[in-house]
Amino acid sequence: MGIISLKHTDQLYWLGRYSERVYTTLKLFAEKYDSMIDLNEAEYEDFCKKQDIPNIYSSSEDFAKRYCFDENDTNSIISNLTRAYDNAVVLREEIGSTTLSYIQLAVYAMNKAKLSEAPLLELQHVRDNIVAFWGIVDDSIDDEHVRSIIKLGKRIERVDLFARMHMDRSELKREILKLNRRIDRTGLTYSAKRMAHINYLIEEDDLNYKELVGEIEALLL
Amino acid sequence: MYTKNLCIYSDSVNELLARYGVKFGIYKDNTFHEQLFPFDMIPRVISAEEFAYIERGLKQRIKALNLFIEDIYHNKRIIHDKIIPEEFVYAGSGYLAQCEGVSPPRGIYTHIAGIDLVQAKDGTWYILEDNLRIPSGASYPMIARDLCRKCSPQTFRDNHLEDNRNYAKLLRKTFDYVNTEGHTVILTPGRYNAAYFEHSYLAEQTGAHLVNGHELTVEDDKLYFVDFSGKKERVGVVYRRISDEYLDPMNFKEESLIGIPHIYDVYRKGNVALINAPGNGVADDKGIYYFVPKMINYYLGEEAVLKNAPTYLPYYQEDLEYVLMHFDDLVIKDVAEAGGYGVFFGNKLENKAKESFKELIKAEPRRFIAQEVIDFRDIDIMEHGEFVPRKADLRAFVLMAEEPMVWKSGLTRFSRNPDSFIVNSSQGGGFKDTWVLSR
Repeated sequence: MGIISLKHTDQLYWLGRYSERVYTTLKLFAEKYDSMIDLNEAEYEDFCKKQDIPNIYSSSEDFAKRYCFDENDTNSIISNLTRAYDNAVVLREEIGSTTLSYIQLAVYAMNKAKLSEAPLLELQHVRDNIVAFWGIVDDSIDDEHVRSIIKLGKRIERVDLFARMHMDRSELKREILKLNRRIDRTGLTYSAKRMAHINYLIEEDDLNYKELVGEIEALLL
Repeated sequence: MYTKNLCIYSDSVNELLARYGVKFGIYKDNTFHEQLFPFDMIPRVISAEEFAYIERGLKQRIKALNLFIEDIYHNKRIIHDKIIPEEFVYAGSGYLAQCEGVSPPRGIYTHIAGIDLVQAKDGTWYILEDNLRIPSGASYPMIARDLCRKCSPQTFRDNHLEDNRNYAKLLRKTFDYVNTEGHTVILTPGRYNAAYFEHSYLAEQTGAHLVNGHELTVEDDKLYFVDFSGKKERVGVVYRRISDEYLDPMNFKEESLIGIPHIYDVYRKGNVALINAPGNGVADDKGIYYFVPKMINYYLGEEAVLKNAPTYLPYYQEDLEYVLMHFDDLVIKDVAEAGGYGVFFGNKLENKAKESFKELIKAEPRRFIAQEVIDFRDIDIMEHGEFVPRKADLRAFVLMAEEPMVWKSGLTRFSRNPDSFIVNSSQGGGFKDTWVLSR
């Protein structure tokens, strides 16, 4: 295991979180957008509420445009991708140029989507590049410590987002199981008590999503 | 002849360069912008014989410059022997009094030198500038070569070239030679530095750790890297990409937020190597450049292999008179400026500006040098599918371990503007690979 600074540890973790946030929110957005076409135009309101982001949008079209592409909206997908890039670009020597290039490609794809007449088609390329990024993380980062921190960020973000969106218990359970397997491989300090509580919450008959979000956010010390 | 198959991949290679984030940063209106560095597929080609000559000249020059820096901060023989006037040494901004009497590990000051050359139309190579502080640019041809080989393997099968992808190995050798037992780190001011891509790429390629100042700490006259758990690991080499004055707020500019307090004290005690050594600016000042052939003669007892561009120092009365008389034929350079700034072509100035400039030279003769305008040999670039000639220079890199090592390649920078001699990336220039033929 190579030496790694506190700052890089933090950047690796947030690279994992933001890349996952981009991927999953794009996926959720695509589903919601489809529904907003002709079923429930106001569905974005519920989406914002669950995500705990302010509903600053005037219509479904405004939501589609600004939630995806408004760089001044700190909750937009493009802002989250910029944060993923900001963390990745300072980690070249930890993750390698090839790994970094997939985040760079996602940025280019996002900028292209922003200008496109059919942005949903182009946004698929952003997701493809994020998936490729995760693949290359597994394939080419030899340092398990570095790899595990990125993946821990990804897992925590996914559980957080899934819980906020009240996803199926089975899906959440799968992600929490992966989180359990990963967290000890990072060398990072976390609350074992909270981890045990998360494991308990997911088994409860009446799943308390809000409490789960609170616990996952406070897991790392 | 060499590049027929290569040129058709111009767009692909530039797309790959964008993919790998091969950029440089510039500040415009106080805002940071990242820009792609335009790459032209047609390489500069240098024959094995010609490069052997350049190599010989560069090694000689670096040896002399290293001896000069050592001399200035210790015995000052070259001043006592009146080879160089002392005001040229001490009045320059590159001279640092803090370096007096300090010896770097293994006596090396100029670990990495970037020497700018141009080739005149008659084929003569001239040295334009020595960069001995933080020369940048090697990473660009290095990664470009790698991508070109992927696009057109046949080109590299047909042409027998020196492989320039060994730069990281040379750099590692340079680091290891002066290591005072510890990790090797590359110290960057951060991602908003113009050359951040290079910092991160060289860290990746050499296996060094890329760090900011606050990740290093000094304790008991040693330098340490602090890991995420608070554990300290000794650092033996710092390839610092921040300038002398910001390196250590306790020894240089106290307002520096990017430096490491007391790192210079660790260096002074021989407990860490700083690459390049602080104080090197005393030798790459544009005013000192004039004296390099004299240095070579003084320290090595040899004539300079590579020529300086014909240069005049208005500091000397005779030269001042020549400069004023032949103003229109000369290029005037402000010795305090870099990056293509502070360069004025006499014939391009309006009459009024010309006269006030002449007065300024008379008032501050030490501040300027004047050079004959060398008619560079043009090099073709591809523009909109056509070959067009442009001015270009060559930055050659010399690394110093036990002996100077000349990297068998270099950064060829060209002006995209047909009427300009300025090739700097910050002023819109592009770059080419530099091929050195192996036979």
